[in-house]
Formats: sequence, structure tokens, C-alpha cells
Amino acid sequence: MSRLLEDDYQSPLTNETRVTKKVKRKGKRRKTFKPYLYLLPAILFLGVWMYKPLLSTFFLAFQKWSMVPGTIPEPVGLENFLRLFNTKDFPISIENTIFYTIGVLPFSIVIPLILATVTNDMNGKAKNVYRAIFFIPMILAPVTVSAIWRWLFHPTNGLVNNLLLKIGIIDDNIAFFSDPRFAKWLILFMTGWGLIGFSTIIFSAALTNINKDYYEAASLDGATNFNRFIDITLPLLSPTILFMLTMSILFSSQFTFAYIDILTQGGPFGSSTNIYYEMYKYGFSNLNVGLSSAAAMLFFFVFGIITLVLNYVSRKFAFYDN
Amino acid sequence: MKGKEKLLRVIQHLLLIMMCIIAIFPIYWMIISSFKNESEIFTSSFIPLKPTLENYVYAFTEMPIVRMMFNSFVIAILMTSFQLISSILAGYALVRWKFKGSFLIYSLISLTWLIPFQAIMIPNYVLINQMGLNEQLLGVVLPFAVSVFAILSLYQSFQAFPVALIDAARLDGESDFGILVNVILPNIKSTVASLGILLFISGWNEYLWPMLITKKMENSPIQIGLRSFVNSDVNMWGSLMAATTISCLPILIIYLVLQRQVVDSFVRFGIK
Repeated sequence: MSRLLEDDYQSPLTNETRVTKKVKRKGKRRKTFKPYLYLLPAILFLGVWMYKPLLSTFFLAFQKWSMVPGTIPEPVGLENFLRLFNTKDFPISIENTIFYTIGVLPFSIVIPLILATVTNDMNGKAKNVYRAIFFIPMILAPVTVSAIWRWLFHPTNGLVNNLLLKIGIIDDNIAFFSDPRFAKWLILFMTGWGLIGFSTIIFSAALTNINKDYYEAASLDGATNFNRFIDITLPLLSPTILFMLTMSILFSSQFTFAYIDILTQGGPFGSSTNIYYEMYKYGFSNLNVGLSSAAAMLFFFVFGIITLVLNYVSRKFAFYDN
Repeated sequence: MKGKEKLLRVIQHLLLIMMCIIAIFPIYWMIISSFKNESEIFTSSFIPLKPTLENYVYAFTEMPIVRMMFNSFVIAILMTSFQLISSILAGYALVRWKFKGSFLIYSLISLTWLIPFQAIMIPNYVLINQMGLNEQLLGVVLPFAVSVFAILSLYQSFQAFPVALIDAARLDGESDFGILVNVILPNIKSTVASLGILLFISGWNEYLWPMLITKKMENSPIQIGLRSFVNSDVNMWGSLMAATTISCLPILIIYLVLQRQVVDSFVRFGIK
């Protein structure tokens, strides 16, 4: 998505020269406000529901407020930012945000890359059936996914516990979602489970755009399948890989949000929380708007910088086949 | 050589079949659990021996499921329509005319990708409360009336549209709005339709915002009702799975019927 930011803007199709003079003069004055008229709904809504609140959050980060109607936020300077680092679950939430962001990469890049490459060589029918099935988890709502996994991993009657007991891997039931050793891994796995299909489809689409001649030439030179993957597929897919990397970094913490909220509420002992869940907790459980806004601003800038760097790397180093 | 290649093929298919099982087994387990009776629900049998509908009956009596499904439909359809209309108009303006500030506007639209919803939820929540739209479907829909993703996707489709056709329509005396409605839109119907499917699915699955706005079950979409069912400590797993199955039925049906379009739209809009 970051690629959309700057490179893709091309100047509009203007064709005024081809229009007769009369139409042109008549249209001249109207044309000056017409584009803005068409853009009005979008700009208005983006302004009211995106940019204005972002600005409010920025100011609220320097204020103290509990959202109680009738009260006014009072300025406190940098206190919220200082308090943030002394808040109990904040360091662990940063740690987990990094854990989720990195942990999701095998599911959003490595496994899909393998699946896309393997299915790419198959005939049309098998390829489409496999890809259609991989994709299903992506369209399910987070609540649905949480409900199913909670039932599968139920401490006393869940299928997973039953099977593990039967095979004899464990002697006692495990309460997966209230065990700090398992909770965040399960949330990571659920997030990854949803992403595999989506990424596979994206990589498959990129693969079909690769010119088949390269592979034929490589085959004539005696390259093995593995060589072809390393020397042709990977470099040509590098823009897509960087795109998926950016997506994963920007969105993995947001994808995990719903699972954390439904399954663990960040627990046990804060072991599965992440930064976005903490923002929600500060704001809506502790009613500490300033703290929530300070965290939001901090990470808005952190993620913004990461994205811009990746965008730069993508333009500088990714290999485009033109 | 031939034998080795065949073996590789078999291994590949085994790997893929395993991945397929991982992808759909949880859904299979949800559906069969919803048909298991009280004595069977806690066993690991992979097919319900005495299928029953009592779980569904219980789910429907415990929760206002019909009402919540209706809310979900209204929310998803309103979001989709608002997003399609605003993005068609915006995308058209950006491609069609050269005007002051167009690059700035385009940049401002693209950069909203970087704004996580959690960074704007509190001011939006306060605003919705001030407008008195708490517990109302419109309050759930309003902040999602524009989709930047939709604008950028349509911007690309409009840009790929042949200029010659637009010129011809102009010489025929079509107005600017007429060109959009009578020339461009009929030609990119399928693009708009698949974008619409995508927006509907994400509207249906929306979580954080509806949770903040609707607290009472009668006012909430099915996702939020389900959330309180999941979190309540009742051990009614059969009915919970029944309710979960109902909640994702519309999406699964759309996917079964329009599977190609759904996948294509994710590819088309996800990558470009």
C-alpha cells in the first residue's frame, strides 16, 4: 500500500485541447469548482472522521481528561508521555507488538511464497481449488474465528486437549488461553492462519505476471528448480515481498486486537497484550484519555517512520522488470 | 528422472492438502459442533451421530439473532453504498480534471493508511456521543462512510479507462456527470461489483467501532452480540457454535457463489 503513496499519482487525463472553443469557455468557470464538488463527500468525511480526530488526539496527548461529560481537559504538558513509561503493562505491550509483528512474517511471507510457487506450476483447476480453499479463513470475522478457536482449545472439553490426552502427549488438560506460555502464541497463530490465504493470492498474482521466457532460458542453462526460485522468482517478486512486509508491519498489531480483546483481554498478567489493546484499555477501561492519546501519537510516528523507510527501500532496491 | 518428478508432485499435493485441512478444519468443526446433541458435544466424534437442531433453537431464544442479523445487514449495506458513492465521485474527480491542490488531496487521501483506528477512536467516540448517535446504526456507519482503499482502487480503474471513449461522449454532448454515469460506470461494472463485495465483507466483519457504539444487544450487529455470548461463562458450546455458524453464513454463501470475483477483487485491489 505504501507504494500507492507517491509513485502512483499520475497527472490526470486532460484533453481540453480537443474541445471546441465554445464548450471550453463555458466550462472554464465551472471547471474550477467542479472537481472540488465531486471530491466534497470524500474530503468532508475524511476531514471529520480521520484528520480532525487525529489532531484532537495529538492535543489530548498533552492533556488530562476522563471523558466525563461536562468536564474539560486540563493541560499537563509532557506528563502523559512520562507516565506512559512507568505504566505497568506498557513495556510488555511494546515487546509483544514486536513479537506479533515479527511472528506474523512466516505466515504473511514465507509460507505463502512457498504455496504460491508450488501451486503456480499446476494446471488451472487444481491451482484454483487450492487457492480458493486457502483463502476462506481471510473472509471470516475475528469474532467467528475467536469463538471457534476458543472451543477447539477449551480447557476441559476442547478437541485439542482431548486429542493430546488421548495420544499421551500431555497428562493434564491445558488452559491454553489463561496460560502465559501459550496465550500469545495462539493469538499469533490465529492471526497467521487468517493471513496465509490472502498473501498466497497476492503472491500468486505477482507470479503470473513474471515472463515465462526467463524460466525457459534458465532451464536451457540447466538451472534446477531451486536455482530458478532464488535467481528469478525472488528478485522479481521483491516489490511484492516488500509490499507484504509493509502491510504486515502496519496491520498485524491491528489484526491481533480483536483476538486479544475476545480471548484474553491482554492477559494472563499482560502476557498477550499489544500496544493497540493498551490504548483501548487506557481510554475505555481506565478512562485516561491523555495516556491513551500519548501512546497513540508515539506509535503513529513510529509506524509512520517505519513505513516511509520501507517505502524508500522499496523504491531504491526492489527489482522491477520493465 | 520421471519417477523422481512424480514423487515430488505427490509430496507437493500432500503438503497442499494438509494446508487445506488446516484452513478449513476449524470451520468444519464449528458446523458439526452446532448439530451435536448435549451428550455428544464434549466428545471428539468427527460426525454428529444424532444430529439435532436444538442448539439453533436455544441460540434463537437466548439472543435476538434475527434483529442482530438485520442490524448487520443494514450496517454493511449502508457502509458499502456510502463508500462506493464517495469513492466513485472522488476517484473520478482526481482522474478527470487537472486542478489546484489535486496532488495534495491525493496525498492526504493516501496517507490515511497510516492512521490506525485506535489513534482516532476517542475523539470519534466523543463526537458520536455529542451527536446523540450512540446505540444507533447510523453512529456505527458514519465514520466508515469513506474508504480510502475504495478511492485508490477506483482511481486506478478510472485511470485505465480509454480517453477516446470519454472524448467521444463529450462530443456527443454528454455532461461530466453523464460521462461518469452513462459511459464509465457501465464499462467498469464488474470492478465496482467486486469492490462492493469486498467492502460488504469488511463492513460485516467490523469489530472495534460497533463494540464501542452499541452496548445493547438489540442495537448491535451480530458480531458484537456473539462477542458477549463467547465471553459469558455458560458452557453452551453447541448453541454458541450454532450462533457463530449463522453469523458467518451470509459471508460463506457470498464466497461460495461468487468465489472467483471475491478472490479476483482481493488480487486486483490488494496488489495494485
